[in-house]
Amino acid sequence: MDGGYSGNYAVVAVAVALGAAFVLAGVVANRLLRPHVPTAEKYTTYECGLDPVGDGWAQTHIRYYVFAYLYVIFAVDAVYLFPWATILDTDGYGLVTLVEMVVFIGFLATGIGYAWRRGVLRWV
Amino acid sequence: MIELLAATPQTSTGEAVAFWCLAPIAVGAAVMILLSRKAVHSALWMATTMIVLAVLFIMQGGIFLGVVQVVVYTGAVMMLFLFVLMLVGVDASDSFVETLRAQRVAGILLGAGFGVLLMAAVSRATFPEAVGVGAANDAAGGHVEAIAEAIFTRYVFTFEVVSIVLITAAVGAMALTHKERLTPRRPQPEQSVDRIRSAHPTPHPSPGVYAQHNAVDTPALLPDGTASEASVPDELRRQGTVRYTELEAANRRADEDGERE
Amino acid sequence: MRLELSVTDALAETPWWLSAIKAVVIFGFLVVSTLVMIWAERRVVARMQQRVGPNRVGPFGLLQGLADGIKLALKEDIIPTAADKAIFILAPIISATTCFLAFAVIPFGPVVSVFGQETALQLTDFSVSVLYVLAVTSVGVYGLVLAGWSSGSTYPLLGGLRSSAQVISYEIAMGLSFVAVFLYSGSMSTSEIVSSQDRLWFAIILLPSFLIYVVSMVGETNRAPFDLPEAEGELVGGFHTEYSSLKFALFFLAEYINMFTVAALATTLFLGGWQAPWPLGGAIWAGANDGWWPVLWFVAKLWIFMFMFIWLRGTLPRMRYDQFMKFGWKVLIPLSLLWIAIVATVRAVSNEASIDRQDILIWGGVALAVLLVVSIVWDYVSGRELEQPDDIDKPFDPFGGGHPVPPLPGQQAVAVAVVASPSNADSEVLDA
Repeated sequence: MDGGYSGNYAVVAVAVALGAAFVLAGVVANRLLRPHVPTAEKYTTYECGLDPVGDGWAQTHIRYYVFAYLYVIFAVDAVYLFPWATILDTDGYGLVTLVEMVVFIGFLATGIGYAWRRGVLRWV
Repeated sequence: MIELLAATPQTSTGEAVAFWCLAPIAVGAAVMILLSRKAVHSALWMATTMIVLAVLFIMQGGIFLGVVQVVVYTGAVMMLFLFVLMLVGVDASDSFVETLRAQRVAGILLGAGFGVLLMAAVSRATFPEAVGVGAANDAAGGHVEAIAEAIFTRYVFTFEVVSIVLITAAVGAMALTHKERLTPRRPQPEQSVDRIRSAHPTPHPSPGVYAQHNAVDTPALLPDGTASEASVPDELRRQGTVRYTELEAANRRADEDGERE
Repeated sequence: MRLELSVTDALAETPWWLSAIKAVVIFGFLVVSTLVMIWAERRVVARMQQRVGPNRVGPFGLLQGLADGIKLALKEDIIPTAADKAIFILAPIISATTCFLAFAVIPFGPVVSVFGQETALQLTDFSVSVLYVLAVTSVGVYGLVLAGWSSGSTYPLLGGLRSSAQVISYEIAMGLSFVAVFLYSGSMSTSEIVSSQDRLWFAIILLPSFLIYVVSMVGETNRAPFDLPEAEGELVGGFHTEYSSLKFALFFLAEYINMFTVAALATTLFLGGWQAPWPLGGAIWAGANDGWWPVLWFVAKLWIFMFMFIWLRGTLPRMRYDQFMKFGWKVLIPLSLLWIAIVATVRAVSNEASIDRQDILIWGGVALAVLLVVSIVWDYVSGRELEQPDDIDKPFDPFGGGHPVPPLPGQQAVAVAVVASPSNADSEVLDA
């Protein structure tokens, strides 16, 4: 590993540090400049001018979970598709690699097609 | 680990410094996963561990692996965890009461035993001479190319199996969470027509008796002083947690008594 | 004359002080662009709505964004009692820190000479730059989810979930639209993708990918017509309902910088990056792609996308959430997969059998047309008979046996049980 190679990544670390410094400087300046006049009403939960009733927890719908799960699958899928797309054109891959990917996507498509037909993907 | 670092001649000073800076963060975050009382805090510590691991991968020259670690684990899998935790609720925190007797002792013993086994296995492992990821990359003509070659030629069967495992798990999850619709769907045009034809097409009166109470569980008062049931949400009415004004509550008690007689 | 060094070498030989300067300049560029964008958005939308827009602070109201920012920073900061304090503070910091990072791999121009030092006008570049951008955005989503969760309030929770579900759904479509680009460029590094577009932009040869990307980038940044997380009528302010003062400003900044990020990525992947637009490059003006001119082309292309964002906001009403998700998952993603399959097959077959690509396109088009005609005829001939299964006239009552039973495939559920509807309750109250 030569210096230039890892230097490319070190630059990202510098960018992270710079971003964090920018945000933190803002936060500190804000703390020094802003007024602080606490009253009990200010710290209640926002309910369009009404007093809040009950606690802030609303049970969310299970379908968010289904879509998050689909996201996981497609994220893995994309992670395989990216290097595949990069090398498909080079010598020694071609049709065989294409068929491998078609089989991979085919399995996914079958499962999702089944779920689709059963109406699982319907939002309401 | 120290011997390992010392024994590998390729480890540069910068790499060692970065390792000793990042490794404590990863381990500390991993410990915090166990110590956090709120599940979401644990999930965040886990995300921290994963990001630090990704940085370590990248330092080892595995940029693809590092970035994929962030995309798939930090991005997708942890997001799935967070969504599940939101289903569980905001205030859900672990109870520290021991429900099964001696569970804590057994847990500590098993954990220690596993740790000893793991350390024994790792310390007895022999490593071949390190080639370095650079050599492998050069052989294939690039980092991504080397990974693609491994996935699509040598490990192609594993690659296909991954797809089957993924989709089986997903279809299982979807089948478990799915609920068939029992009533036909009413599209928006139909709903709006129904609403116009109903007895009350305009918005409901807003809740809250402003001089005394100002909350959704307090019904608005009609001109004759009785409470407007339509002004409070159905859900609160069903739960029976509607707060009536004192006068209205007294009237209601009187009405109920009258009905009983 | 173009300078000799390649981008990778130029980046590797860039001294640390020059990298630091470049990082600071990118920061400055993004912050100033955001201020200009806020002004431009308000002025242009005002113009579209026959209004004047902000014109008081500075010439043409140009300093309005800055004035708003300073005002926000001077406001009292409120953390509700119900909030989870640590995460409530952490969420905007995550959003605002990560949004800058994606710009590190965006090429602003070719290799130039700065203070006698040759360097590429881009902070850094990896072999997997585009994947890195996806990684950074997926960490940025944490800001939204955590803001919604930590507020301890219903509107932010629902808003946060909505935005994150939206962002992750459209991120998939976005990622899939990259695949065709990688197929053509044979690389995931941004500088190589730009240089592989020196003859023809990918927006032209990969038009479906480009269109899918443009739609999904609007969904990804939560902008109109996909600004459902901020649907005022339903969710007040969405995930940032409980936020005030600088924390709100940080979310605002992150939203605008994310817009710049996706627009810059669109420019890099599909519009040739910093390369001069078609008639200028090469033939007419040989120097158009050298030195500092490319920065101008890049910024101009960036602002075309920014104008599009404003235009969309001034034109289109907000979509319904279920329709939005349906569009993402059932239209954009299958379309991208289909398009990838077509592009990959054409390329692989033409490489393998050394057939002319044009022949494949022609024969593929003919096959597609035949398939279309056959499917239409098929529908016409056999469709009507299939419409009538045996028991279609027997409506299925899911509540018939006293216990709810789902209908079998093909059976049509009919609501028989009357659920207590609010309209009945209303009429009772009104009659009383």
